[in-house]
Amino acid sequence: MWRDGVLVAGKDLRIELRSRVVLNQVAPFSVVVLVLFALALGPSRAPIAQAAPGLFWVTLLFATVLAVQRSVAVESTEARDGLRLSGLDPAGIFLGKTAAVAVELAALEVLLGAGVLLFYGVHVRSVATLVAAAVFGTLGLAASGTLYGALAGGLRVRETLLPFLLLPVVAPVLLAGTRAWQAALGQGSTGTDPWMALLVVFAAVYLALGVVLFGPLQEAA
Amino acid sequence: MSYIAAGYAIALGTLGVYALSLVRRRRRLEALAARVERDRP
Amino acid sequence: MTVAPWSRRTTLVVRAVGIAALVSVVATLWLGIWVTPPDQVQHDLVRLVYVHPPIAWVALYLAFGTAALASILWLWRRTRSPMWDRLAASAVEVGAVFTALTLVTGSIWGRPTWGVWWAWDARLTSTALLLVMLLGYLALRRVPGDPDARARRCAVAAIIAAVDVPIVHFSVVWWRTLHQGATVLNANLSPTIHGSMAWTLLLGFVAFTLTFVWMLAQRMRIETLSQQLEGAELDEALQERWAEGAPAAASAPARAGAAEAAP
Repeated sequence: MWRDGVLVAGKDLRIELRSRVVLNQVAPFSVVVLVLFALALGPSRAPIAQAAPGLFWVTLLFATVLAVQRSVAVESTEARDGLRLSGLDPAGIFLGKTAAVAVELAALEVLLGAGVLLFYGVHVRSVATLVAAAVFGTLGLAASGTLYGALAGGLRVRETLLPFLLLPVVAPVLLAGTRAWQAALGQGSTGTDPWMALLVVFAAVYLALGVVLFGPLQEAA
Repeated sequence: MSYIAAGYAIALGTLGVYALSLVRRRRRLEALAARVERDRP
Repeated sequence: MTVAPWSRRTTLVVRAVGIAALVSVVATLWLGIWVTPPDQVQHDLVRLVYVHPPIAWVALYLAFGTAALASILWLWRRTRSPMWDRLAASAVEVGAVFTALTLVTGSIWGRPTWGVWWAWDARLTSTALLLVMLLGYLALRRVPGDPDARARRCAVAAIIAAVDVPIVHFSVVWWRTLHQGATVLNANLSPTIHGSMAWTLLLGFVAFTLTFVWMLAQRMRIETLSQQLEGAELDEALQERWAEGAPAAASAPARAGAAEAAP
């Protein structure tokens, strides 16, 4: 399973390196969203700074939808069948695609994080919390996204259906991530423990769910 | 008190309408099924 | 392929459940509005407790739980049967109605209690998210295609959403309780209940549960019929359209054809 996962992850990432869709399209989209939020809430720094953690995570959620769409679109229907018939462990395929999406999102987050810190002028208290929350949040987003991506994969209405399906389910990640980042930026009065726990649980649950359900999902009629 | 009346009315009313729509849909389909059975060569 | 009608026993059971549901709902209404006393804190507003929590329970636990369980039973090879798929879909649709009503009754209760039509209270927020998830399932269900593939997709979607329910619940509850200064809304929607109020509340739970079960039965029957009659429904609609288009010419042969086919 792990070896198949590495294989698939490598394939997806190599495609990304060559086509640079995430880099050239999803990243600028995310930056634009950050700017739009600033336009909506600004021009004074205070409300923007206060909303910064939330805005980071909301933008990340939108970027996840795009990254997952791309991850699914990379394979045509024939290629998807090919993947299924190739004998690769479906759990491995799931983990591989999830890993690829996670890596792409991570790269995006570095950019977004820098953007947020720069544009919104916030001061960091605990980098470790920021990173930890981002890591586990990303894993959860990538796992649930890949699962839904496979679910809606062959459907023509995928573009409109995927966000509608995915976003409500990952709302807890948004909640917890925002709170954790607020604590890390010295805002808000809540500790980070319950939120980090939630992010870890979410990631674990959806990774496990994906490993279990990806196979049955791929069984074609 | 009017809030309570509104609450009960909306809740029970909606459920009632939905229930009636279910019964109507079912009857229509049962009738269609009977027709298909009858017309079967 | 013949569509078997409900057996006589099934018809009787469903009818009995329906009647029991109707009677208990009316009884809850009567007891709730006229017989039980007003609350010390909320006065008459407490009467909505006989409606809102039972409906919420049916929506969030009964409907969702049924859908999730049925989906698992469908996905698991050993217990797979089209009935589970129908049960899941029915539970989601009826559940969506109940969930929407949870939000509406919650909002109506909140307005005089809190002064606002909507509040980011833990229950309302998580219920709103749940409603969107249910609507997503229903949208997924509408996508045309092979019924088996559709059942598979929907089963997985239901499980993904069901697993999220407790996570959403905790995250939103922590969001509210750990949040400093969120306290216009301290007045809780859950009063202390005793005496005749407790019995009426119990009756309310029973009444709406029976209603849910009855609706589930109806919806499942509709699903069975509709799946097996898919072709026939389309044919009938087409016939109607053609008859409209050229009344004199078309309807005569159509009628003649039907007369021939009928015994």
